[in-house]
Amino acid sequence: MTDGRSVVPDAESVDDLLDGVADDGLAGYNYAYLDEHTKREVRRATLKAIALPGHQVPFASREMPLARGWGTGGIQTSLSLLGPEDAFKVIDQGSDESVNAANIRRLASRTADVETTTDATDASVIQTRHRIPEEVLDDDQILVLQVPITDPLRRVDGSDDANRRRHAHKNYSKMWVALYENVVEYGEIKLSSRYPVLVDDRYLMDPSPIPRWDVPKLDDADNLCLFAAGREARIYAVPPHTEVEPLAFKDRQFQVERFPDQACANCGSEDTFLTEVETDDGDRRYACNDTSFCEKRRANPDLSKAHHRDGNDHAWGPATDPSVPDGPTENSEGGERE
Amino acid sequence: MGYVAVEAGEDVIQRAEELFEKQRVDGESDQLSVEQVDDQFSRLTAQAMSEGGLYAPRLAAIAVKQAQGDTAEAAFLLRAYRSTLERWGSSRPVETAELFTTRRVSPAYKDVPGGQVLGATKDYTQRLLDFELTDDDGTDPTEEWDAEPEDPPQLRNVMEVLRDQGLVHNPETGSDEDQPGTPFDATREPITYPAPRAAVLQELARGETGAVTALGYSELRGYGQVHPTLGEVRTGDLPVRIEHPYTGDEVEVTRASVTETECVVPIYEKADDPQFSFGYGLVFGRNERKAIGMSILDAAIQLDGDAPAQDAEFVLDIVDGIDSFGFIEHLKLPHYVTFQSILDRIRSIRERTAAASSGDDAPVQEVSADD
Repeated sequence: MTDGRSVVPDAESVDDLLDGVADDGLAGYNYAYLDEHTKREVRRATLKAIALPGHQVPFASREMPLARGWGTGGIQTSLSLLGPEDAFKVIDQGSDESVNAANIRRLASRTADVETTTDATDASVIQTRHRIPEEVLDDDQILVLQVPITDPLRRVDGSDDANRRRHAHKNYSKMWVALYENVVEYGEIKLSSRYPVLVDDRYLMDPSPIPRWDVPKLDDADNLCLFAAGREARIYAVPPHTEVEPLAFKDRQFQVERFPDQACANCGSEDTFLTEVETDDGDRRYACNDTSFCEKRRANPDLSKAHHRDGNDHAWGPATDPSVPDGPTENSEGGERE
Repeated sequence: MGYVAVEAGEDVIQRAEELFEKQRVDGESDQLSVEQVDDQFSRLTAQAMSEGGLYAPRLAAIAVKQAQGDTAEAAFLLRAYRSTLERWGSSRPVETAELFTTRRVSPAYKDVPGGQVLGATKDYTQRLLDFELTDDDGTDPTEEWDAEPEDPPQLRNVMEVLRDQGLVHNPETGSDEDQPGTPFDATREPITYPAPRAAVLQELARGETGAVTALGYSELRGYGQVHPTLGEVRTGDLPVRIEHPYTGDEVEVTRASVTETECVVPIYEKADDPQFSFGYGLVFGRNERKAIGMSILDAAIQLDGDAPAQDAEFVLDIVDGIDSFGFIEHLKLPHYVTFQSILDRIRSIRERTAAASSGDDAPVQEVSADD
């Protein structure tokens, strides 16, 4: 209490007070679940994160009605951005229908009265766990990635306190040494997902556990990417058209996942991220991981990943369709060492 | 397809929840009432309140019932509810000598001002499974006592005796930088290190009972130096006072049941003026194990040594039950994307190893970002 008299310190007017209890979504809760003060705080952290690409900004993460580690940072960020005119898409491991995605989508639609969609090209905000959609995102779209572990340096040192100092000094030597030791021991870099990237030639960043397949999409993207960790109370960002370079060596290049001689069992795509499925009769089949794009490809097998953009725009991701000119993905030297 | 992923929509979520509700009574007995939980499982509700960081016995009883006795889940329900509540103000600091004490033991002294008050405890009885509880008629064994019930006394803190003699180090608590005099609040400000002691105490007080006990035990077990002497352990009710919003007077609004402990550790930091190190524990409800564990960890973290429990960052990062339970259980979520990525790496490395051992050159990796 600030002056001992005011009983609702944050309200500036009676209308503010009434708005606070208005029954827009879930009865008894504020619009978009979080109180306005919290949403403002999350947006402030988000703006700071955008101003310092790749830098982890602490924020006072609130307890959410989802378990920590299940997308609480992502949902706080999404709810702080959403308005009634937005279309919201939620995917978990590439699927809109995963139970946790359904649960998060239900929370947003119940409390924020927001339209939901499974079409990546229709959504204004996409919350995702561990995938970037196959269809190219536009400059009016925001991708919110759920983050379990915020600091790539935690692979080499468990202390965030020590790692914060390394980030301050751009001292990533311990990471380079770890990668080199990988090469010595295994012949190549054995990191699978959560592949460390250098953002804008400044901050080393954990891109969240997206597969390496999705990492190149972060580089010079048209859309804003926000990374949010509720349990670890950090937000970071890759603004549009920011340089993002996976760490690699000249003689050990960054590699995406390989699917030799495989196509999606459902739509036949050969240029999408596949996941393998062991069937009851002992077979192994591969299928598109992005279920919503797979459905579109089933209807139209030649559909480009950039079908919704004006033809001359570049597609993204590996092994893209040749009809669309490549984007500016020429290797820069930023993240490579001799 | 022969494989069904952990996928489906809201129908399945709904049905799973309904099944959970059906299991609430797995047999023929009556449902527990919230009153019964409140009256008879006070240890459970106390743990939920303490780990949830919300003192609300009635809500805690609902949470325990809703969670079917899972304290981590119950604490989580309380926290999630707490975070939606408007913050109306802060209570005034209270001297814990004002505690209305129902139990107080001082291991440091044979006798202390106010005396040893054993109170209600099973500490010194034999842990024999009581088969008579299967047919409990609810008789009150104190019925025949000829003593009159007294109001719980307010007792002088044992630690004051040592403080008066200048034997105890008085650690800085650390205030909020922006608002001097206000304790740090980790629910409103993310913790960075070195953390002020106020933040350490807050996080320990909200810590998971098992984690606090285990980490405290690690110090005693040899992974550290802190083997404290407890000045006292006490339980009772602490008055909660706020400043009246209109008159400005201090008014008592409720009493909160707490367990408090203060300990000293014979580690002399200042050679010229040796003093005991000091550790403090205060938790909601009756939970002596957690309070003592907390006091060990407070003292250990102040030492800032090399033992695991003396590293504030390590302890605070792992001690919170809501964090640990959430992240441990998130492993149940689908992970097939990341797993596919791991499969790719291990197959690639095995191909390379196989090629190397058969004398061929390692396969050339031509896959890159631009393929």
